[in-house]
Amino acid sequence: MKNTAKKVLAAVLALVIVFSFAACGNNGKKDDSKAILIGSTGPLTGDASSYGISVKNGAELAVKEINEAGGLNGTKLAFDMKDDKATAEDASTGYDALMDAGMKVSIGSVTSGSCAAFADKAESDNLFFITPSASAANVIEKGTNSFRVCFGDPDQGVLAAQQLVKDYKNIGCIYDTSDPYSSGIFDAFKAEMAKLGAKYILQTFDAENKKDFSTQAEALKDCDVVFTPFYYTEAGLVAKALVAKGSKAVVYGCDGLDGIADQIEGVDVKVMYITPFDVNSEAEATTKFVEDYKATYGVAPDQFAADGYDAIYAVFNALKAAGIDDVSDMDASEVCDAVVKAITDSSFKLEGATGTMTWDASGACTKVPQIVKLGA
Amino acid sequence: MSNFISNVKKQFKFKHIATWVIVAAVAVVLVIMSESGLLNRSTIGLLSRIAYSIILAVSLNLVVGFLGELSLGHAGFMCLGAYIGTFVASLLRESIDNKLLVLILAMLVGGLVAAFFGFIIGLPALRLKGDYLAIVTLAFGEIVRNIFKNLEIFGGAMGYNSKTYNQKDLFVIAFVVVIIVLILTQNLIRSKHGRAITAIRDNEIAAKAMGINVTFYKLFVFVVAAFFAGIAGVIYGHFTTPVLYTTFSYNYSIEILVMVVLGGMGSINGSIIAATLITVINFVLQSKLSGGLAAIRLLVYALILIFVVIFNNAPALKPIKERFSIHNLKEKRIAKKKGTIVDDAAEWNRIETKVKMDSILTPDLPHNENVTPDKEDKSPKEVK
Amino acid sequence: MSTIMDGLSLGAIYALIALGYTMVYGIAKMLNFAHGDIIMVGAYAILTTLELTGNPYIAIAVSIVICTVSGIVIERLAYKPLRGASPLAVLITAIGVSFLLQAIAQLIYGSKSQSISLPDFGKVVIGKYAINVSTIITLVVGGLIMAGLTLFVKKTNTGRAMQAVSEDRGAALLMGVNVNRIIMITFAIGSALAAFASLFYLMQIPSITPTLGSMPGIKAFTAAVIGGIGSIPGAMLGGVLLGLIEKICLSIPAISPYTTAIEFSLLIIILLVKPIGLLGKQIREKV
Repeated sequence: MKNTAKKVLAAVLALVIVFSFAACGNNGKKDDSKAILIGSTGPLTGDASSYGISVKNGAELAVKEINEAGGLNGTKLAFDMKDDKATAEDASTGYDALMDAGMKVSIGSVTSGSCAAFADKAESDNLFFITPSASAANVIEKGTNSFRVCFGDPDQGVLAAQQLVKDYKNIGCIYDTSDPYSSGIFDAFKAEMAKLGAKYILQTFDAENKKDFSTQAEALKDCDVVFTPFYYTEAGLVAKALVAKGSKAVVYGCDGLDGIADQIEGVDVKVMYITPFDVNSEAEATTKFVEDYKATYGVAPDQFAADGYDAIYAVFNALKAAGIDDVSDMDASEVCDAVVKAITDSSFKLEGATGTMTWDASGACTKVPQIVKLGA
Repeated sequence: MSNFISNVKKQFKFKHIATWVIVAAVAVVLVIMSESGLLNRSTIGLLSRIAYSIILAVSLNLVVGFLGELSLGHAGFMCLGAYIGTFVASLLRESIDNKLLVLILAMLVGGLVAAFFGFIIGLPALRLKGDYLAIVTLAFGEIVRNIFKNLEIFGGAMGYNSKTYNQKDLFVIAFVVVIIVLILTQNLIRSKHGRAITAIRDNEIAAKAMGINVTFYKLFVFVVAAFFAGIAGVIYGHFTTPVLYTTFSYNYSIEILVMVVLGGMGSINGSIIAATLITVINFVLQSKLSGGLAAIRLLVYALILIFVVIFNNAPALKPIKERFSIHNLKEKRIAKKKGTIVDDAAEWNRIETKVKMDSILTPDLPHNENVTPDKEDKSPKEVK
Repeated sequence: MSTIMDGLSLGAIYALIALGYTMVYGIAKMLNFAHGDIIMVGAYAILTTLELTGNPYIAIAVSIVICTVSGIVIERLAYKPLRGASPLAVLITAIGVSFLLQAIAQLIYGSKSQSISLPDFGKVVIGKYAINVSTIITLVVGGLIMAGLTLFVKKTNTGRAMQAVSEDRGAALLMGVNVNRIIMITFAIGSALAAFASLFYLMQIPSITPTLGSMPGIKAFTAAVIGGIGSIPGAMLGGVLLGLIEKICLSIPAISPYTTAIEFSLLIIILLVKPIGLLGKQIREKV
């Protein structure tokens, strides 16, 4: 008897699920406002969530500013970021949910792995997206619809190799084998170093062992410079581990090091990094962004926030240049073609928080890298 | 071996069909809805996720619920299936045009590779018990992940760029696989072999004494479960790209285990329902709590988990639940009629001990047989 | 040499966490998956008190109190209702608690990693090696705690009651041992140890995130199993062994990407050779 009851329960549950799906189906088609939805996915929980939250804050700030200034000829912008926990499958799900909610233009995903999944789906829909921070090469390789705000990983690796060989003798390098960003830069760095015929000491770490760097610091302590192509949290720990071993090495990194200043407060170490965004920059667009961000969120923005902010402005300016102010009766593909045409036009230029940017058909962004120096 | 196959064939009756008939009916309704455009994209994506979650939960239930061995590395088999399956698919695509055939072949290869590793991980299961085996399976999952991360051929840290399958077709195929898996497992557990497996779970030594080939059945269950998990991995690899090693962490294995435990150990129907519900809950929380609300998603999920488990399992809540369960109301009615005396022996059975309560309470029984230390015995049994 | 010192101090941290696992397992017969997250709670407690008072000693004391209290509260609210339920149900609740603690930490502190500066104790130079004093403190204090714990369990009444509960809960109950109280004390001690672990952890790795505890937690669990779960000297041995292996693997560039795989493979090999861990107690099976 008990079994029958269970089976009935199962059948009822199955029916409930079916109907809830049907309900989902109807929900998605609702389109009550004419606001242009700019969708995005990013890690809002979990290990990588600080990047997602920064991008979200930067993007929301930009959307608020644009809407307060009257929007796109009167049409408001709306921004939504779905949590993807930096995984590919949640980015796909988030993409579908956003498409159901009427997304016609997007700023892609925050992290490279998720953004590859996002790009795969966006390519089949020919949806325009410009990712703030997914810098892996494969993110913009598929289709003509994909763009990015940040530097590509390989470019930074090549640039860093040239700079280091020019300025230093004993070069050390440590990278994160489990991180697409870090290994992407390292692969290019390795190739360029081989081309330049330079030698260096190599150390690695991975996601499971990214807290304690004493072993690697031991091996690297006699270098003049240590190349650290990863994010500031780990770079700060590497810097501290080096100092703890009595090393005088300069820590040299890429744009991921932005934000390291807080991590190495009071630590006697010299840090340099290549970045498009410098919180202390004198440029007008940057200072305005930094002030507004501080006023809104109470903390100084990091590079991810600046990228998110610029990505929204890139979308906004491109829509404006394409003469689109109402997407409700266009499909994503039409919007994409018009926006791509506008953004790759030689006259299109964005003065953003991360410098002056232009885009070509490959989707890569051209902007001038700066080198920030911190510490003694 | 041939004897075994013929036995399986003999046992392969289409009884106990209710479960998969319901699943099939739901699937057919969904296909019709999808074809008529009633389903939106995220729902179709969700259906694929539900399908592979069901396969994962049901196959893990074979190990945890039926064989009684705790496994925390199920995502490792899925990882193997996802990487190998999509890799094989990309090779096959060069010579075979039919996409469906490629997918089926990929599933078989991915499943077989995972099954091979299931065999390997089944070997320690012969020697290890309980939590020791659990940590070995967890270690296995992490090792697999760590190795795929470092293999250049699978894209290293960038993940393997698989090619996704048409989403509208994928969920239909996935549900066909679900139904096949259900038919196979339902028939397996109701066969002679299934009874042998549960006998091993209930008491391994007794099972051995009864002439059950414990070695064979333990390996067999691990191999079958790994095979199904590998297939789920191949479906996953065709659902989303890139296949990233980060997905298959022990947290994912634990999520599958949560499905099995919430659904009820050794209950296939329970696994199906729990896998569906958890996938839907995750999906709803993800799509509804976007932006600034995302941080409370983990909080909500954690609270649901804790409350459901406590509600389902807390001994203190048992009387309350029993009072309100349909099953019990019926029994009470019968009891009222017959005037049965309700006995409170159950109260004593809750206390875990090596000393059997009954033997203390009834001093006229011979003691020395029952006062044997019995550490393996988790739930007190009746005095033999 | 330096690698070995690093390995030892990492091992001491693992050992302290593993002790918590092992004690709770031995007495409550449950895998407390939330144990790693207690370390995270302790780390945030140190961070906050340090910011408020500026005194590291107060911070440590507060962190021990907070960890102990949260250990007891978690035990009371989440695990006690499940006493007598299947071990797997308790395991799932522990996982839920782990998620809950992480979520709460993220809501309060955000997910960005926070930097903390504990006082620098400098270093001592022995020959051509410089060893951080914090490493030595970790080793000495860690060793003292473990010795004290062993004495506590062996010599005091409460300790003996713990052994009794671990041996046979029902019989201990019949002998007049307050089982609930003993389990609560076990959780309190385990959590206090986690507070020490978080202090040593921060001395080595001065950065705090909501997920800080999960990986050390898993590694410490591995260490507890290598040593033989339920055994206090086993947890120490397993922890130190794992810390050393991790550091040695990481110091060899060719195999360092495979460190995790090597650590876990070693676990499997040890268990295959000795299925109860290095110092585990043999349990005789009966029908």
